[in-house]
Amino acid sequence: MKNNQELITEKHTQNIHQGLKRLSTLRHGIPGGLGNPRWTGELLLATYEMARTGDLPTNGLEYRVGKSGGGFDVLDFKFRTPNSEFRTPNSEIDLSIPLNRRPWGAKIEIPFPIYGGGMSYGSISLNFMIARAKAAMRLGTFTCTGEGGYPPPLVPYKDYIITQVATGMFGVREETIQYARILEIKYAQGAKPGLGGHLLADKVTTEVARMRGAVSFSSLYSPFPFHSVYSVEDHRKHVDWLKAINPEALISVKVSTPTDVDMVAVGSYYAGANIIHIDGGYGGTGAAPEIAKKNIAMPIEFAIPRVHKYLLSEGVRDEVVLMASGGIRTADDAAKIIALGADGAVIASTECVAVACTQCGNCERGRGCQVGITTTDPDLSLLIDPEWGEERLVNLYLAWAKRLRQILQDLGLRSIRELRGRTDLLVKH
Amino acid sequence: MIHEILASRKKLIQGIPLSIRKAEGEGGCGVVGLASSVPVSGKHILSPCGQMHNRGNGKGGGIAAVGLLPEQMGVSREILEEDYLLQIAYLDPKARNEVEQVALLPSLEIHHSYRIPTLDDYREVQGLELRPPEVWRYFCRVKRDALEGFILKNSFPMGQTSRLGGTPTIKESTRSVGANPSVRPGMDGHRWAEDEFVFQNTFRLNQHFYASLGEKRAFVVSHGRNMIVLKLVGFAEDVIQYYCLEDLKAHVWVGHQRYPTKGRVWHPGGAHPFIGLNEALVHNGDFANYASVTQYLRQRNIAPLFLTDTEVSVLLFDLWSRVYQYPLEYVIEAMAPTTERDFFMLPEEKRKIYKEIQASHIHGSPDGPWFFILARNNVAEKTFELLGITDTSMLRPQVFALEEGEVKIGLIASEKQAIDATLRSLSEEDPRFCPKADRYWNARGGSHTDGGAFIFSVRANSPAEGGVKGGLGSASSSLRCTNKFGEIITTPPGQVHWRRDGVDPIRRGMDNPSVGVQSALGREPLLTGKMPVLLGEGGWEDVKEKMKEWQFDTLLGYCREIVEISKKGDKERSQAIQLLTLLIDRHYDTGSKKRSSVLVIVEEALYEIFSFRHPSFLYHLITWENRQGLYAPEGQEEILVVDVHSFPPEGDSGISRFIVEAYQKGWRKFITFDWRGQRFCGCGLGPGTKGVRIDVYGSSGDYLGSGLDGGEVVVHGNGQDQLGQILKEGKLVVHGDVGQTFLYGAKGGDAYILGNAAGRPLINAVGHPHVVINGTALDYLAESFMAGDPLNGGGFVILNGITSNEKGEIIDLETPYAGGNLFSLASGGAIFLRDPLERMDEGQLNGGEFFSITQKDWEIILPYLQENERIFGISIESDLLRGRSPEEVYRKILPARRTVLQETTPNH
Repeated sequence: MKNNQELITEKHTQNIHQGLKRLSTLRHGIPGGLGNPRWTGELLLATYEMARTGDLPTNGLEYRVGKSGGGFDVLDFKFRTPNSEFRTPNSEIDLSIPLNRRPWGAKIEIPFPIYGGGMSYGSISLNFMIARAKAAMRLGTFTCTGEGGYPPPLVPYKDYIITQVATGMFGVREETIQYARILEIKYAQGAKPGLGGHLLADKVTTEVARMRGAVSFSSLYSPFPFHSVYSVEDHRKHVDWLKAINPEALISVKVSTPTDVDMVAVGSYYAGANIIHIDGGYGGTGAAPEIAKKNIAMPIEFAIPRVHKYLLSEGVRDEVVLMASGGIRTADDAAKIIALGADGAVIASTECVAVACTQCGNCERGRGCQVGITTTDPDLSLLIDPEWGEERLVNLYLAWAKRLRQILQDLGLRSIRELRGRTDLLVKH
Repeated sequence: MIHEILASRKKLIQGIPLSIRKAEGEGGCGVVGLASSVPVSGKHILSPCGQMHNRGNGKGGGIAAVGLLPEQMGVSREILEEDYLLQIAYLDPKARNEVEQVALLPSLEIHHSYRIPTLDDYREVQGLELRPPEVWRYFCRVKRDALEGFILKNSFPMGQTSRLGGTPTIKESTRSVGANPSVRPGMDGHRWAEDEFVFQNTFRLNQHFYASLGEKRAFVVSHGRNMIVLKLVGFAEDVIQYYCLEDLKAHVWVGHQRYPTKGRVWHPGGAHPFIGLNEALVHNGDFANYASVTQYLRQRNIAPLFLTDTEVSVLLFDLWSRVYQYPLEYVIEAMAPTTERDFFMLPEEKRKIYKEIQASHIHGSPDGPWFFILARNNVAEKTFELLGITDTSMLRPQVFALEEGEVKIGLIASEKQAIDATLRSLSEEDPRFCPKADRYWNARGGSHTDGGAFIFSVRANSPAEGGVKGGLGSASSSLRCTNKFGEIITTPPGQVHWRRDGVDPIRRGMDNPSVGVQSALGREPLLTGKMPVLLGEGGWEDVKEKMKEWQFDTLLGYCREIVEISKKGDKERSQAIQLLTLLIDRHYDTGSKKRSSVLVIVEEALYEIFSFRHPSFLYHLITWENRQGLYAPEGQEEILVVDVHSFPPEGDSGISRFIVEAYQKGWRKFITFDWRGQRFCGCGLGPGTKGVRIDVYGSSGDYLGSGLDGGEVVVHGNGQDQLGQILKEGKLVVHGDVGQTFLYGAKGGDAYILGNAAGRPLINAVGHPHVVINGTALDYLAESFMAGDPLNGGGFVILNGITSNEKGEIIDLETPYAGGNLFSLASGGAIFLRDPLERMDEGQLNGGEFFSITQKDWEIILPYLQENERIFGISIESDLLRGRSPEEVYRKILPARRTVLQETTPNH
């Protein structure tokens, strides 16, 4: 016999699943209140559809661009006229990228140029974290802990989880540093650079507080910046420290996009980073302050070419992996940012959309997320079943891979690595 | 006059675009400086620079030296003191003739010039990838007609004298013309105008030959009196080697390892030090308001040409000190304003002045993080000075040290280990130097207590005080240390250093470290076998009492005896180690002996015992040379003794990885000694390391015990920065001070600190760390502390606010905590503050509230105070409570029940 609570969860879950399926059929048109110019209703529905089917939408839903009127939404590819001669067969197109380009250290490759960004236990539910980890493992890519500790149920997936070391050092200990094949040092987040991290009291449930060793229902702040890192030489010391604890791990350095982002990137490279992860201003959940989002950091479309060129001029571009995040919504966005100079993209919001996020922006509240993503409420957290979430995420990635192959074929390229920095293949429309 | 000087520069900067972006990113760096009462050679700045290699990246190194010797410079003392010592780097050697014709000869009277010697081949210096520029040295003064024309043209007020220029002295005005070419009757009173001429001439030269066309053919490296600067693309020690400065002597030295973010740096223009007029500045940091500062300078007709933080910093210093003629205290206030509570703690009179200074110059005040070290020739006061200034927020590492014996020396560096390296190097050459300083401390930036700045000034004693005629540079110079407010910092009076007069006094030669060289102790045949030594129970009480009466000879004999006894067997050896360790850890009355010298002698005895190679059941010795032979403990072997000094500071073959390897092979107890700043001790052992104990002797490095999860690390001496970050379980004991961000993000564990913590201890700590700090903290203690409820297993800090005097007695600090930010934004945990006189007030809390302690509280903290007593000998009854009840002595600080942390702010 199911108890009352289980029945309620079941009913809600069913409704959510039904909705995801029905809405994207367009039987009822596109709901008026859904989405915003960046994440249009159509884009949300297309993402739901891809996460359901593992394929690109066939009913005419726009799945490539939004309607923000700038950035990715006004960029297009200069596709060559369809001609079977230069099209590489689907099976021969290579989407893989290496995550270590230095001559030493572990050689890690991911099968397509995308992995999941850091979202902490506390900012999102444990079930969603498990779903992400399961999907990453099945696909052979990565997801990231964010800064909220390493819940034990994630440990079986540790080879596919990046341990984030962020400025509050919540939940970071030698053991979790040693779990990881990749360590991410998070200096700033593009959605709120210079503001540190916040987890408002509502979401600091007893369980979340326990995981971080903090006080329940009391807001948690991660400072900005690292109080032990005020310079690039401190940063190198910090990297050396992590390597003293886990010498095998690759080091990723996540920074936002200040005006001197190019120097920050090159400084990180010389300090020993394998991956430089640039986070632009369009990312972040609803928990990031509205005033900060999109208003402080520069757009990722602007930052990446600058960093790419600067690394080229320094002669070190091929020794470092440049990952971009902060507003990558679609496979087309990912391809565009690669053409602008990145090696690959990191996504988080899109993964939320795959499991029914509507971009309503209530993420900072304890019971604000009605689909069980950005919540730590014991009841709401159950709305995402890890297996279901895993399936949705895998499907999303498969659909994206199809689209990326299409793009490469249409451009006459054989591998995603050939696309990097090919701004000549982009056009503004 | 200020107006005229600034107005005269208007033409100078015409057409120079206002550049508000730095030319390149730059981070922290390694900085070191020393000021000595006797001139010391450049080679001594080599070892600290070498040891801070990892704070630079070989893309820029530089040195400055002030207070030189005339015979080494090849000029008379008079010329050295009076002439401008112009040094020009020719990136394009062909530019020299043109530079001289255009920029020097028309207006300068050159009394002597030469190309400064270098190695024949720059590739002799390992790691130097680029040929450093040829540097020419010119001793010169401004031609009389040129200076008169300059004064007239700019309507400089004639007949006025400046504080810095000084009025003509009798000596100067009575010198006969012709005896010295630099004497121009009637003009010496206008030294300030001549200074400005030289400053502008350099600017013009740099603009023309360096900045304007982007050709970068030549630039002025330095132009001050009796001082030189040299820099190149490489490490600071490369400068010393390439320009043959090993034996060059000076009173003041600074060295700088640069860490520019750019990879390709092909010329040394951006390397530190940068110059004002008679000062050179090195900088560790990267400030946030470069744009604002450049605009502030532009409003005063000053334009940077090299576009770095450091350049604008020294331009500010020059503006405030030479043009505005501010006393040093005001210059420091303009740089690092006194803010918040510290401002209100200042005397009324200072508040008034500081307010004016801040109102006028806050836009030019560099916003941290920064830390400046300046070397300057203070020609007005006739002193050579070394200054260290920290930013108000104390965001960069900094350590000051002072040694006062037969010779006196003051040192400033990014790391304590660099200071120790300098002193070690000096003491090897000159037995008057002690390899340990008498005093080490940190500055509290922008504070009302020390002002965040210290000045070491070297001054020649007047003949009446026994000085030798000949002014500065003579052996009888004295050194004085003062803080921003002019208060003198000194060491306990009436004590002397042990003077090590022997051919090879150091335990081991630097070049052949593993070979046992005759120990200092071995040179003392007297007393052997006659000295009653009591080991074990009572041994410590016995020696502690006798120590104050002993001469150094007696102490040496005692140590000799202990070393001999310890050879008898493992039991004796363990007892000897225990006893000598107490002599290092504890504070006691050393009588007329300097504590620093006592420590040197005891440490040598201890290291000799550690280095025994004869068979032992218990101990196994490892050095860098035999590290590959490491095996799992056999038989009763229990303690791995590691001589650390040759291990690299970090990386795969670093000592921290070696300890991990030994741990994995089964070793649990470690005695590690002769640390020289190696980092990450105790990191990487992984979870659940209960039972591991690492004893650390020597100059330990950054990040010690960061990540510790169960084990125990005991530091016999001071710790450096970032100790015990993310500490989870286990125990950290430091018999001294700890540096910045101690226990950042700690989750648990116990920590006992004998001395003080620097800035931001326990920031973002959560869980249940239990910490006893017996001294105080600079500021920002327990910011964002989230360590639960202390009555229910949460964390806390006990702050005792005590120190010990030279007699080894425990005394109260003036206040247990002087900062204005305690417990900011804290949501959990507690601070137990020993404050019997209630010196602290609500204004210092920033999110906390005072409470009385309860019986329950006392029960919770008592075991930690008992352990503190066991470790440090700090008695609860006689040192902490002193006959009063716990309620009267301790106060509790808990997070204020403010709504700010409990509320959620809706976005919509």
